[in-house]
Amino acid sequence: MVTTPAPTPPGAVAAAPAGTGTTFTRWLGALTLVAMAVLTLFGLVISPADQVQGDSVRILYVHVGTVWVAYLAFVVTAISSAAYLWRRTSSLTWDRIAGASAEIGVLFMAVTLLTGALWGRISWGTFWVWDARVTTTAFLFITYVGYLAVRGLGGSHQQRARRSAVVALLAVLEIPLVHFSVKLWRSVHQDASVAGRGDVTLDDTMLFTLLLGVVAFTMLYAWYVLHRQRVLAMEDAIDDKGLDLALAERRREATTTTPTGLVIGETH
Amino acid sequence: MDDLGFILLSYLATFGGTAALVWQVLRRGRALARQLPDEDKPWI
Repeated sequence: MVTTPAPTPPGAVAAAPAGTGTTFTRWLGALTLVAMAVLTLFGLVISPADQVQGDSVRILYVHVGTVWVAYLAFVVTAISSAAYLWRRTSSLTWDRIAGASAEIGVLFMAVTLLTGALWGRISWGTFWVWDARVTTTAFLFITYVGYLAVRGLGGSHQQRARRSAVVALLAVLEIPLVHFSVKLWRSVHQDASVAGRGDVTLDDTMLFTLLLGVVAFTMLYAWYVLHRQRVLAMEDAIDDKGLDLALAERRREATTTTPTGLVIGETH
Repeated sequence: MDDLGFILLSYLATFGGTAALVWQVLRRGRALARQLPDEDKPWI
């Protein structure tokens, strides 16, 4: 007895098990997992308590790493947006990198605000103060939530890319304001402890843990942007195919042939 | 360890939020990859 395989529905792909991973991203993902595990071990167990801050310093190992990645993500969003707007390099890939980068930036900015609030509860006795650094950081977070909302508005891929690129180039101007707010205004938030300082007096294990956090979250950022921009590319491709199918259907309807052989709707 | 609850909560929020985002992007990637032929996936 011969069995016939079930017909594949139009538009469906018979076997496409692969997602957005490659050998490189799998290795990067595995290394990131290891780095995160080591960070947790050093952050919670091995690194010593601070002389002034006590154990609350352990929060800063994730707080500093995530805020660094948030800044990096928003700068990459701006650079990719500029690359999209520049005629010579204009490609939707830049727009997708910008969108993917902003997404993880928003997550890490939210984590930064949350971990900062928890650290503030221990150190300042309150979850929130209307301090210059804290307030401008919250404002930056809201701005990029708005950027993601703008990306979700309707229109073609090119319209989405153009309008969100303009928003990204305006939004990135807030970053210097946030970073230098501790110098511009009187702030309870501490100034930089490592970056831009020649006289770092941090304990070696604490410095290692802090830098490990920055490296681990940067690796995670790279992994996420690679995967997410591929997901966005597939979403765009499915949108385009859906539009093509709808147009083909419309053309088929427009060229319907009657039983007498008369073709309706065709113009020559 | 002083203030252990706040410290653990900060790590949980960080890694929990990250894991949720990672899981979501992997799941979405697999679901979309099933609907498209390989020529629409240049990274393969």
